[in-house]
Amino acid sequence: MLPGSLFLDHRQTLQQVSFCVHPGEWVVLLGANGSGKSTLARLANGLLLPNEGEVVADGISSWQHDRLLELRKRVGLVSHDADNQIVSTTVFDEVAFGPQNLGWEPERIYAAVRGALAQVGLAGDEFEKRDPNSLSGGEKQRVVIAALMAMEPGYLVLDEPTAMLDPVARSQVLRSIALAKQAGHGILQITHLLKEASFADRVLVLHNGKLVYDGAPEGILGNQAALTAYGLAARPHKKVPLAAAALDSAAAFDSAAAPRLSLNKVSFAYPDTVSCKPALENIDLTLAGGECLLLVGPSGSGKSTLLTLAAGLMQPTEGEVLLKGSPPKPGQVGLVFQQPETQLFAQTLCEDILFGPKNLGFALSEHGNTEKALIDKVLNAVGLEPGRFKHRSPFSLSGGEARRAAIATILALQTDFLLLDEPTAGLDARGRAFVYELVQDLIAAGKGIIIATHNPELFASLATSKREL
Amino acid sequence: MAIPLPFGNYLARDTPIHRIDARIKLLLLAVYVFAIFACSTWAGLLALLLVLIVLFAVAHIPPRRALRGLKPILFILLFTFIANAFTFSTINLSETIPLLGSFGIRPSGVVKGLYFALRISMLVLVTALLTYTTSVVSLTDATTKLLSPLRALRVPVEDIAMVFTIALRFIPLTVSEAEKLVVAQSARGARFNQGGPLARIKAWIPVMIPLFVNLFRRADHLAQAMESRCYVGKGRTLLAHTHLVARDAAWAIGGSVLLVAVGLLL
Repeated sequence: MLPGSLFLDHRQTLQQVSFCVHPGEWVVLLGANGSGKSTLARLANGLLLPNEGEVVADGISSWQHDRLLELRKRVGLVSHDADNQIVSTTVFDEVAFGPQNLGWEPERIYAAVRGALAQVGLAGDEFEKRDPNSLSGGEKQRVVIAALMAMEPGYLVLDEPTAMLDPVARSQVLRSIALAKQAGHGILQITHLLKEASFADRVLVLHNGKLVYDGAPEGILGNQAALTAYGLAARPHKKVPLAAAALDSAAAFDSAAAPRLSLNKVSFAYPDTVSCKPALENIDLTLAGGECLLLVGPSGSGKSTLLTLAAGLMQPTEGEVLLKGSPPKPGQVGLVFQQPETQLFAQTLCEDILFGPKNLGFALSEHGNTEKALIDKVLNAVGLEPGRFKHRSPFSLSGGEARRAAIATILALQTDFLLLDEPTAGLDARGRAFVYELVQDLIAAGKGIIIATHNPELFASLATSKREL
Repeated sequence: MAIPLPFGNYLARDTPIHRIDARIKLLLLAVYVFAIFACSTWAGLLALLLVLIVLFAVAHIPPRRALRGLKPILFILLFTFIANAFTFSTINLSETIPLLGSFGIRPSGVVKGLYFALRISMLVLVTALLTYTTSVVSLTDATTKLLSPLRALRVPVEDIAMVFTIALRFIPLTVSEAEKLVVAQSARGARFNQGGPLARIKAWIPVMIPLFVNLFRRADHLAQAMESRCYVGKGRTLLAHTHLVARDAAWAIGGSVLLVAVGLLL
């Protein structure tokens, strides 16, 4: 389907990539962040046009400019963030949007909408009237898939459709994809999750813009060396804790003054919610320095709420949160939110890193060594070379770099406790390995860590306890 | 921190008022406003007030909720009343009860002030009744349909409707994003209600910059999603979600006749 290459930024994003997806076939394309996956997805749908080569869907070539809409209709495109793809204010209107654009007769549109929603398992009069903003992440993504199916495409290209979802929603979306395949659609699913490749009929691997594998899943999934070389697997570097560091932290945290973060019988209900059901009920937990707690549970189970309470950013409706015996003030417990890179704002990384410490009135001498030392320390901790990065604009960073930089801005608060909300969401194997190593370092430095995650297996060897919400 | 939304008044109920087609409700709103201005007597105004009270009761809107809409215009109401009731004028002295020098209170002005204040209140209340009983989605739909004759004048009615729809979808998302950013920057020690006006404005920079950057990114992605689903802005099928039924016609005719009669006769 896709022999082509695209010239972008004076380098070939894709080079001589050729492959074919057949109707009724489920093809998974694996590639690390920055391998050219998303570019390929947009080429396949005719949103981008190749500089050389062509995309052909059922005989319609991307060079036939007058048939571009036909190409886009044949090849439906789903991207990872459902919120940015939903146009309408009701589920019905959303699914009808594509067919309306195609100028179909109303009767045909009604039938197509009903049929498509049934295909992803979301049929029903009530559901059709819902506001997309009120849907869960998994439901939104399935509505997006239904919206494409309603246009009767031949092929679906899905760009990391499950990247933002919890395991339950993830399997529902995968089931919807399987149904689309059964209905005879050709599927091209793009992902960096090896697990999802095992469902495929065929696996493609994209590495630095080149297609390096095209074959059965078994041929690549067992080949650890190849996976590592393509950035699809990365074994975190397991460090033996330095004896001195271990002694140091043990000495510091054995004493009675050891910092402790505890939640005592904490309940929390959001004001103004229709249901009076509290988001959290009667939570007890204690964390000491050097410990790591994993917080698991489906989306909406209150993980983020718990972290926000523990950081002292909201007050519990009942019970109390205590840091070293008194309620934490904002900034006394480090909290790395989901997708923290969306909170960077300053002109340079330096300023962004110093934003927190300055707000909290840390004694940092201007232009002095302390300021520079802090910036160097936190940038080194997240693996960004200070000399190269500290004067860069946070908006010029790649996705993975921005995530690291955002974590550095929280490390700069130098708190005893660090709470991480889905720190690996959207990161590829190397990014996940980085987070693992960072957590390992922080624990070794005597910090107490809470990680809310859909991927507890990754941190299993570091965790001292696990809590299900 | 909760950021209030400019809309979201809609109270989902199943009452005869809620069931009227939004187009008819917009029409009746216009007729009611006409009636308020057409009538010039207390009898007429009170009759229209009675109609409004009955409609609020039928729609099951609690009185306190109904009156909440008047809060933002309290100052205007007070000003209207005072401007009419008190006078500095030296003409018609017989009508004025002097208070201090030429400053005095006029009994006829008090009545007139009350009349105008009531009139403004009723304008606000009847609009509130519409938003309490009609979802924003049906209102946009209705507005688009009522505007559709303008298509003949080359007004891009569909584009305007699309802009409204996208705004409706993204305003709540943007508000929740702003709320998240406020919490996230508080976690980094940002304070939003401290210091003078300038400090307060400055405190919002770490919220506003990422908010706008994210919005532009969103807009970009949304445009791609629309394009990839063949949106070109023209040649779209328009779907009629609602069809006018006999009941709507009855409301339109009955309501208009009653209101116009009250407005013109009383």
